[in-house]
Amino acid sequence: MNKKFWFLVKQSLLKKIKTKTFIIVNILMLIALVALFNIDRIILLFGGNFNKVNNIMVIDNTKKTYEVLKMTMDSQESIIDTGLKYKIKKVDTEKEARKKIKKDKDIAIVIDESKDNIIDAKLISYGYMNANLHQLIVSAINSSKQILAIEDLNISQEALAKLSSPVNVERVYIQKDKSESEENMKYIMSIITPIIIFPFFMLITLIVQMIGAEINEEKSTRSMEIIISNVSSKTHFFSKVLAANFFVIMQCLLLGLYSLIGALIRGGTRINFEGLDGIGNGTISKVKDTLVSTGVLNNIISYIPLVLLLMLITILGYSLLAGILASMTTNMEDFQQLQTPIMVILLVGFYLAIMSPMFEGAVFIRIISYIPFISAILSPSLLLSGVIDVKDMILSILLMIVVIYFLIKYGLRIYKEGILNYSSNKLWKKMIKALKKGSN
Amino acid sequence: MLRVKNVTKYYGDKKAVDNLSFEVGEGEIFGLLGANGAGKTTTFRMIMNLLDPNEGEITLYDKKIDYDVTDKIGFLTEERSLLLKLTVKELMIYYGTLKSMKKEDILKELKIWLKKFEIEDYEDRKIKELSKGNQQKIQFISAVIHKPKLLILDEPFSGLDPINVNMFIDAINYLKEEGTAIIFSSHQMNNVELFCQKLLILNKGKTILKGSLKEIKNRYDERKILIKADVTKSELSKLKGVKSVIIKGDEIEVNIDNKEDAKGIFDYVSKCKNVIKFEVVELSLHEIFTKEVGAKNE
Repeated sequence: MNKKFWFLVKQSLLKKIKTKTFIIVNILMLIALVALFNIDRIILLFGGNFNKVNNIMVIDNTKKTYEVLKMTMDSQESIIDTGLKYKIKKVDTEKEARKKIKKDKDIAIVIDESKDNIIDAKLISYGYMNANLHQLIVSAINSSKQILAIEDLNISQEALAKLSSPVNVERVYIQKDKSESEENMKYIMSIITPIIIFPFFMLITLIVQMIGAEINEEKSTRSMEIIISNVSSKTHFFSKVLAANFFVIMQCLLLGLYSLIGALIRGGTRINFEGLDGIGNGTISKVKDTLVSTGVLNNIISYIPLVLLLMLITILGYSLLAGILASMTTNMEDFQQLQTPIMVILLVGFYLAIMSPMFEGAVFIRIISYIPFISAILSPSLLLSGVIDVKDMILSILLMIVVIYFLIKYGLRIYKEGILNYSSNKLWKKMIKALKKGSN
Repeated sequence: MLRVKNVTKYYGDKKAVDNLSFEVGEGEIFGLLGANGAGKTTTFRMIMNLLDPNEGEITLYDKKIDYDVTDKIGFLTEERSLLLKLTVKELMIYYGTLKSMKKEDILKELKIWLKKFEIEDYEDRKIKELSKGNQQKIQFISAVIHKPKLLILDEPFSGLDPINVNMFIDAINYLKEEGTAIIFSSHQMNNVELFCQKLLILNKGKTILKGSLKEIKNRYDERKILIKADVTKSELSKLKGVKSVIIKGDEIEVNIDNKEDAKGIFDYVSKCKNVIKFEVVELSLHEIFTKEVGAKNE
C-alpha cells in the first residue's frame, strides 16, 4: 500500500508539472523575476537614465528671486525626496535660455515682476516634463513668492531662515519600550505587508484549485472507481493533499531559484538597493535601512521558523478542506461554488492583514489573529509590527493543529462517502450521515 | 473461488440488494442480469470493496475482500473510467501499478493486448483522441492487463460494432480458457447466451432466477414453432395448445404454452404441402428475461 501511495503522489505531482500551463507560468515568472532584479538595467537599455541631471536655467527679471527659489527647491527636495537630480543656474535672457534647451533635461524658468501677484513665472521645456519635477518647481515658485512677500515686510534673513525651515517634531513616548524607529517601522510594515501576503494568498488559491480539479477529473471520468478499488480512500486523499503541498513547496523553491538567478545576473547575491531606488524614489533603501537600524531585521529572521510553520500547516489545512469539499462535488462547476467559503475566508484574512494598522491595539484584531485559516495571513504582519507576540503566534499554531486533527478525523469520513457519490441530491444529508456513520 | 453469501445492501431505507448469494468458479462465466436499477452495479461495487454490504459476506479464495485481494480482480465498469488526458501507455502504467504490477510487465502485456485488438499503433495516443470503440478496448485491456483471477465485465459490449464485439468475445473466451472466473453483465441477451454457463437474474435487488442456462430454459414449457409450409393461420389457430400465430415474412411463428402440444401441430403440418421448415425452439434468454422481469414489475 505504501508503494501505491507514493506512486499516486508521484503521478499527481508529475501531472501538475507536465502541464503546459505550469511550464509557461514558470518561464514567465523566471523572466519577470530576473527582469525585476535588473529593472534599472532594462530601463537604461531602453534609453532610461537614472543619473539624468536636469539643467534648470532661471531668468530672474526681478533680480531678487533666484537665490530664494534655489534655496526653496533644495529645501523642498530634501523633505519630499523625489530622487530627482538637477542643477540650477542663472541665465541672463530668455533668448539665451531658449537656445540652450535642446533636450528634455533642459528647463528654463522665467520670473517676472507682477503688480498684482508679486511674481509671475514662465516654465519653458523641450517637451513634456517629468511630473515630479514640474510639481517641485511650481511648489518652489509658490514658496518663493511667500518668502518674497515676507521679505517685503522687512524681516531679517535669520528670521526668514527660521520661518522657512521645517519644524523639528520630537516624539515622546510614555511607554519606555517604544521608539521612533519602531513607529516608523509600523508605517513601513503597512506598505510591505501586502507584498508578503499576496504570494501566500495566491499559493492557497492555487492549491485549492489544483486539488479540486484533480479529484473532480477522476470523479467525472469515473476512473475514481478503478482507483478506489485498488487503494483506500484514505490513501487516495492523503496522496492528493501531499502532492499538492509538495507542488507548492517546489513552486516556492523555484521562485527562490529564479530570484537567485536574477541576483546572479545582476552581479552577485548582495543586491544593490540604491540601483533600484531610481524607480522606488528611495523607498527600498529606506525600508532596508529602517529594517537594519531598528533591529527588526533580526526579529524577522528569528520569527521566520514560526511564521513558516504556521504558513505550512495552514496550507495543509486548506488542502485538506479543498479535498473534502471536492469529494462532495460531481464536477468542477459544483466545486467552484463549494469553494466560495474558502475564498471568502482567504479574502477576509487578506483585507484584515492590509487593514491591520487601523485596528492597532484593538483586542478584536488580536483575537481574529488566532482564528485558524486566517491566522497565517494575519499573524505575521501583526507579529512583526509588535501587535502580537511569540506566545500569540504559538497559540495560533496550536489552534491550527487542532483544526487539522478534526479535519482529518471527520473529513475522511466525508471523503470516503463523497468520492463515489455522483449525485448532488441530498448532498448535505449524505455527508451528515457519513459523519454519524463514522462515529458509530 | 468467488463466494457471495446472503449479501444485503441498503441505500438509506431502500434495499438495493436483497439476500443475494452465488458462487463463481475458475474458468466459469457467470451472467448477472437485471433491468436498470436491479442492483447489478451495487453488487459489483461490493465485490470490488467499493461498498460494504450491510449483511452477508463476500470472499475470494475464502478471503474477505480487501485491498490485497482486489489486486486479483479486474473490473470493467459500465461507464468509461479512463483518464482521458493520459496516453494509452501512461494509463496502463497508472492502472497496472495500482494492481501492484511492475512497469516492464505492464508494457509487455500491453503490447500483447494491443496486438490482439489490432491497435498496436495507439500506445502513445491520448485516450481522448480515440474513438468510442477503441476507448472501450483500452478499458478492457486495463481490466485484464494484470491477469486477474476474477474479471467483472459490466456491459462490456457498450459502444462496440459487430466486428469489435467478436474481438471481445474471442478475448473473453481466451481468458476463460486461461482459468479466469468472469462475471458478466449485459443487456444484450444473445451475447449472454453465447458464453454464460450460469446466470442469475436480479429484479429490484431480489433474485428471481438462478441456475445454469440449460436448467433455467428447461423450467419453461413454452415453445415457439417456426413453420415454412402451405399452412393457413386459421387452421393453425384451432389446434390444441396454440396460444398465438404470427406471420413473419414467409415464415409462421406458432406460440404454445406446453411443449407436449408440439406433436399435434407437427401432425397437422406434416399433412400439408411444401413443408420446408418445422422447428421447435425453446424460449430465448431475452424472452425469459422479459417475461420474468416484466411480470414482477407489473
